[in-house]
Amino acid sequence: MSADPGETPAGTAGAGTADLTLDAKAAAADVPPELVAQSFGQYLRASWLRIRSGNSGILPVVLAIVIVAVVFEIITPEHAFLRPSNLVYIFGLSTVYMILAIAETVVLLLAEVDLSVGAVALIGGVIAFKLVQQPGPDWPWWAAVLAALAICGAIGALQGALVALLRIPSFVVTLGGFLVFSGVLIIIIGGADSSVNLDTSVPNQNFIYDMVQGLIAPFVGWIILAVVVVAAGTAMWLRSAARRRRGLVAPPLGLTVIRIALIAIVGAAVVIICSVNRGSTLKSVTGVPWDIPIVLVVLGVWTLVLQRTRFGRYMYAIGGNPEAARRAGVSLPSIRIWAFALCSATAALGGILLGSFFFGEYSTNTADPGQLVLYTVAAAVIGGVSLFGGRGKAIHGVLGGLLIGGIAYGVSLLNLGSLSTPLQYILPGGVLLVAVLIDVLSRRGSVTGV
Amino acid sequence: MTADPGETQAGPAGAGISDLTLDAKVAAADVPPELVAQSLGQYFRASWLRIRGGNSGVLPVVLAIVVVAIGFQIANSKFLSAQNLVNLFEQSTIYMLLAIAEIFALLLGEIDLSVGLVMGLGSVVVAELVQPTGANLPWWVAIIVALLASAAFGAIQGTLVARLKMPSFIVTLGGLLILEGVAIIVLGGSLVGIGNSGFTNEAYLYNIFWGSFDPVVGWILLAVIVGAAGTLLWRRDARKRRRGLVAAPRSLVAMKIVLMAVAGIVVVAICNTNRAHVGTIEGVPYIIPIVLVVLAASTALLQRTRFGRYVYAIGGNPEAARRAGVRLPIVRTWCFILAGLISGIAGVLFASWQVSLTTNIIKSSNSYVLLAVAAAVIGGTSLFGGRGKTIHGVLGGLVIGGIYNGLYLIGVSSQWIDVVVGGVLLVAAVIDVLSRRGAPGQK
Repeated sequence: MSADPGETPAGTAGAGTADLTLDAKAAAADVPPELVAQSFGQYLRASWLRIRSGNSGILPVVLAIVIVAVVFEIITPEHAFLRPSNLVYIFGLSTVYMILAIAETVVLLLAEVDLSVGAVALIGGVIAFKLVQQPGPDWPWWAAVLAALAICGAIGALQGALVALLRIPSFVVTLGGFLVFSGVLIIIIGGADSSVNLDTSVPNQNFIYDMVQGLIAPFVGWIILAVVVVAAGTAMWLRSAARRRRGLVAPPLGLTVIRIALIAIVGAAVVIICSVNRGSTLKSVTGVPWDIPIVLVVLGVWTLVLQRTRFGRYMYAIGGNPEAARRAGVSLPSIRIWAFALCSATAALGGILLGSFFFGEYSTNTADPGQLVLYTVAAAVIGGVSLFGGRGKAIHGVLGGLLIGGIAYGVSLLNLGSLSTPLQYILPGGVLLVAVLIDVLSRRGSVTGV
Repeated sequence: MTADPGETQAGPAGAGISDLTLDAKVAAADVPPELVAQSLGQYFRASWLRIRGGNSGVLPVVLAIVVVAIGFQIANSKFLSAQNLVNLFEQSTIYMLLAIAEIFALLLGEIDLSVGLVMGLGSVVVAELVQPTGANLPWWVAIIVALLASAAFGAIQGTLVARLKMPSFIVTLGGLLILEGVAIIVLGGSLVGIGNSGFTNEAYLYNIFWGSFDPVVGWILLAVIVGAAGTLLWRRDARKRRRGLVAAPRSLVAMKIVLMAVAGIVVVAICNTNRAHVGTIEGVPYIIPIVLVVLAASTALLQRTRFGRYVYAIGGNPEAARRAGVRLPIVRTWCFILAGLISGIAGVLFASWQVSLTTNIIKSSNSYVLLAVAAAVIGGTSLFGGRGKTIHGVLGGLVIGGIYNGLYLIGVSSQWIDVVVGGVLLVAAVIDVLSRRGAPGQK
């Protein structure tokens, strides 16, 4: 079996290749089903085995999203939850949680945690907003965004260095970082009652404003969708064809076709939903918001980095068993420092998107770093990222973020009066605990889990 | 050597007993100096060895307090005035109690991020229960209910950590979120207060934080406490010597008693100075004995009971403790219950301190947990378990309170104070890590 360490978590993959004496079921459960299946039926059976053994992947969070959607659709007044306007709003609200959860996933994979991610993200947002101010620095939008990412990356590298070189527990380093950067955040916003605003009449500033608020006209949306589906489909098809030509294990043809079709169907559904007029009859609002492609790009980049690069494989290796990784020649400090740096840089992008979601205004009211980090960790864990390292993908962060955003918005739709504020704390807290409980129990049930 | 595991940290003590082949210096550094010293001079030499070996105890935090005091006194001459010192202690009280609560989790190598909001819960429960238009319970019943609720929440979290092996920082993170909601529900409307002196129950609660002893009563109490503690120390020592056990030198015991008396006299003298701008406010605030009682009880529990020894054993090496027959889940759950209970005590004081509670104040109680962890670590409690005493929480709380008070006094805005405190936490963590590396017999 040529198990690709990028596709299974390294810990389990290593065990799966080595323990050839284990019974076939246990071994099968450790290997991605595409690698053992020769036909579509076999694939489904292999997937089922894998789920039974605790490697349930994205299934629980997808189920949770469906349940949340159905329940809120039933209990919200006028069954408003699944209206196109609300769905688009939920995605906008969830964008920051998705991006931050992807960032947090990077650190969680190493069995570390970054509690400063909320404060750092908001600092990134404020930096970008400040740098495009006119009068003021008046930087081009892309330079401002890059500067924010670089500064936050440096902050992350600093915290990562404390964790990686001195081996101070990451939750303490980032707890201290949380305090420090929450203070810095208020300082750079300009005091507790200040705010930073984008002037949408200036094209340069309007570009950042548009990152969540901007819309792609429906027919342009269709064209982009077609291009994306064709490109992704061709890439998948060619890759599995190349594997087959070279005599490597490849997923069955039927599976590849189904995957491409699924991408096309989901994409079409999103574009259709976004094409419905969600404004009034007088002023129509239609189109795909920019944040959808932005989230997809971040997801795509991180998926590639984690699943297809040496850096990604090392991350899973360290998360699975740091000592084994070290003896295999992986430089733990440098990978750890890079992970914290990239986590913070990704978070900075999330912070910029948050400001755009709040109509280009950053103030201490819209920016609560404590709340943000709790939702972020909850989103990643709910999505299926393990707290114990070595298990999780970027897609888990996206789905977990969507779930958290959906719950938060659904509760606010319910007209619960005085109960709606407390429920916005209690529900994510409860969901977080349930997610961790599942994580803990599934690791116990899994074949190689510690 | 009959090393008392309650007095040395379990990890190094074990190493000290078994590694008899190690050179004498290393062994000496692992044993409390009272046990090896026959005279005062020897005691100081043994203490110095111990500090050099990484077991610096309360010394760094005491130095930090001195540095903070001198620094701020130079920056603003009001800092060490009697008025400000009492004010500073009042501000530090909550940090001290929460740090003591946090130490119960830290000693196990766990963490409790919910102590701030358990305090918030305790404060709203106690305030709601004495409302004349609501439950109208006697003040002491309200306090008992608040403490029970806090301890019960600790028990739930402790069970999840101890029985289901969920990581404590996530359990308490989720617990914190849930509590934030629960506390707001208990709060009901937007505001609840205990400031109406027309109602006896509210007045009692108000006085817990803001009331003080009559100056004369303060002196009498001090005499009683120093007399009792001194007698206890002296007799314990005499008994040890009579039975032929290793005991601290007599001069050291005498010195400790004198030090205690001097410190007590200074505190009472400061508190008995009139600190009001207009009229008279004087006397020892009730919160000083409250903190002392919590400190003494938790110290006795951790240093003198089997439970305490088990806590240090688990923190030092859980697997070794388990094989030695310690039932980990029970000890762990109880530590979280105690953390909840002490946070609840902080909650009662918090309600009394704030006088009226709003949704925003409850949310802000969240930030106290960071300061509690910072206070414990600054005080000298290890984040890795097995090392620390509750006195560290009190001293660390004083440092945090002093920094807050001093920076505020010289006109620094609150966001800069957060930056400084976060930096202090990081420095304390770095020192913790480095001192563990320097210590002999440590990983």
